[in-house]
Amino acid sequence: MPILSLQNISKRYGAVQALSGVSFEVPAGSVFGVLGPNGSGKTTLLGIVTDVLKADTGSFSLFDKTPTARERRQIGTLLETPNFYHYLSGYKNLEISAAIKQRGKDDIARVLEICGLTARQHSAFKTYSLGMKQRLAIAAVLLGDPEVLILDEPTNGLDPSGIAEVRGLVRKLADSGKTIILASHLLDEVEKVCTHVAILRSGKLLLSGAVNAVISRNDFVELSAADNAQLQAAMLRYPGCTGADIQGGLIRASFDASPDAAAINSYCAQQGIWLNHLQLRQKSLETAFLEITNIPAK
Amino acid sequence: MKQIIYTEWLKVKNYRTFWVMLLLALVIIPAGNFMVADKLSDQNFRQVGKLLGNPFSFPDVWLTLASLNSYISALFGLLLIILVTNEYTYRTNRQNVIDGWERKEFVYAKLFWLVAISLTTLIVATLSATLVGMIYGEKPFSFEGYHYMLYYFLQFNVMLTIALLIGVLVKRAGLGIVLFVAYNMMLDQLLSFILKRYVGLPGGLLPLQSGDELLPFPLVGKMVSAGDQYEPYVYVTAMIGYIAVGIYLVFRKILKSDL
Repeated sequence: MPILSLQNISKRYGAVQALSGVSFEVPAGSVFGVLGPNGSGKTTLLGIVTDVLKADTGSFSLFDKTPTARERRQIGTLLETPNFYHYLSGYKNLEISAAIKQRGKDDIARVLEICGLTARQHSAFKTYSLGMKQRLAIAAVLLGDPEVLILDEPTNGLDPSGIAEVRGLVRKLADSGKTIILASHLLDEVEKVCTHVAILRSGKLLLSGAVNAVISRNDFVELSAADNAQLQAAMLRYPGCTGADIQGGLIRASFDASPDAAAINSYCAQQGIWLNHLQLRQKSLETAFLEITNIPAK
Repeated sequence: MKQIIYTEWLKVKNYRTFWVMLLLALVIIPAGNFMVADKLSDQNFRQVGKLLGNPFSFPDVWLTLASLNSYISALFGLLLIILVTNEYTYRTNRQNVIDGWERKEFVYAKLFWLVAISLTTLIVATLSATLVGMIYGEKPFSFEGYHYMLYYFLQFNVMLTIALLIGVLVKRAGLGIVLFVAYNMMLDQLLSFILKRYVGLPGGLLPLQSGDELLPFPLVGKMVSAGDQYEPYVYVTAMIGYIAVGIYLVFRKILKSDL
């Protein structure tokens, strides 16, 4: 059963087509990255799923049902910005969240502790720093230990240690089998945790599915020898090698299938070339993403 | 509904602005009632009173104070506008829905305030009029003429519905308050005045004027001929109609549009 299933969702704001015909499914237990540059429609998409925005056309289901408030109560959601009553304390704001989610107050202390806000729980929300506001929003997401979480740019406003903590938290939640829908433009963030992705650009879905299936990230090999020109010529003759470029003292060789380092080493030795560097590397998600979205890499 | 009321209670429980405004608005009713009763009961006015009867005796006291209260109710409208626009300012209207309210439950939450405020006001106004009637009046307590208080209650609900609608449409406290005060203090009466002059009787059917038509200030009402009017049920029907249309528009706006 998919947790979320979108069928042909479109949304227009005046002249801007924010989403056009987006369809994909989020499988249970996956960490699903919704990727795309700023303004690509990520937040609009999640806004539709959480019923704060209305789609012009298309439909979606949550837990295989027509979505209602009951389904939303089973999902912890952080959408765009932390939205709380400024005049109330962090604790009292979570009391309101718990009341609406129809969960007891007994979980509030736990989530405040996880998010490092116990000491400031009775201070008014308006006195919180940007990072603390974001932490409170994450605490609200965790209330009641939901099985599904929607996190829209969860590390916004956090300092480096806060970013690391949230990443650790997301990984821990993912390991415990929860389904997480994570929208981000920080690919580094997504690369470390996501099992599935959907990539959006200008409101269009470019691709979606399991990370390794949809993003071709063939391994490549970095190598060097005393005579790199000779090595480059040899590598270009190697079966399955699709390219070999010299980059800063190293040769970067790519292949049409997963390369075998031992075989390459043996081949080079047969050619009378003794390697002083050989490393198997994987294309970063960022590089793959930039290729897919056709944005020139820096 | 219990859960909605509990959530709304959590929102205001520690909100000082709310309590100060509510207290002020509620105190103004007996304060205004007693001040006017005291002023009009001194020797000079008693001479006039001999001609017109004591407006603070039962049953006249109901009309007198219903009419007076209709001039001093705007603060409750401002209170409702603040409760509604706060949700837009803090974007908690979105968060409430994200966390698990249906959009219509958000409307119910605000309608709860409309009902709670108007019932509280009716109770305070009734108690205040009862006390004034007993202290400044010369006749025993009677519910005769209490229907004027119900007219006031209906007009009060029209006023709160306008405040709610403005809050939902404008979303910003400042502009909302300016529009509400302008309509409440001036626009409704001005339009009514113009319509009455050029069209005639229908001019009395504007939202707030409908109530005013049913609540003439007794001393003035008796001295100045009220002129032609529809039967009371026409104004009552108009007010119920305005409340229904206002609430329908609030539902429509919140159910259909992006939050």
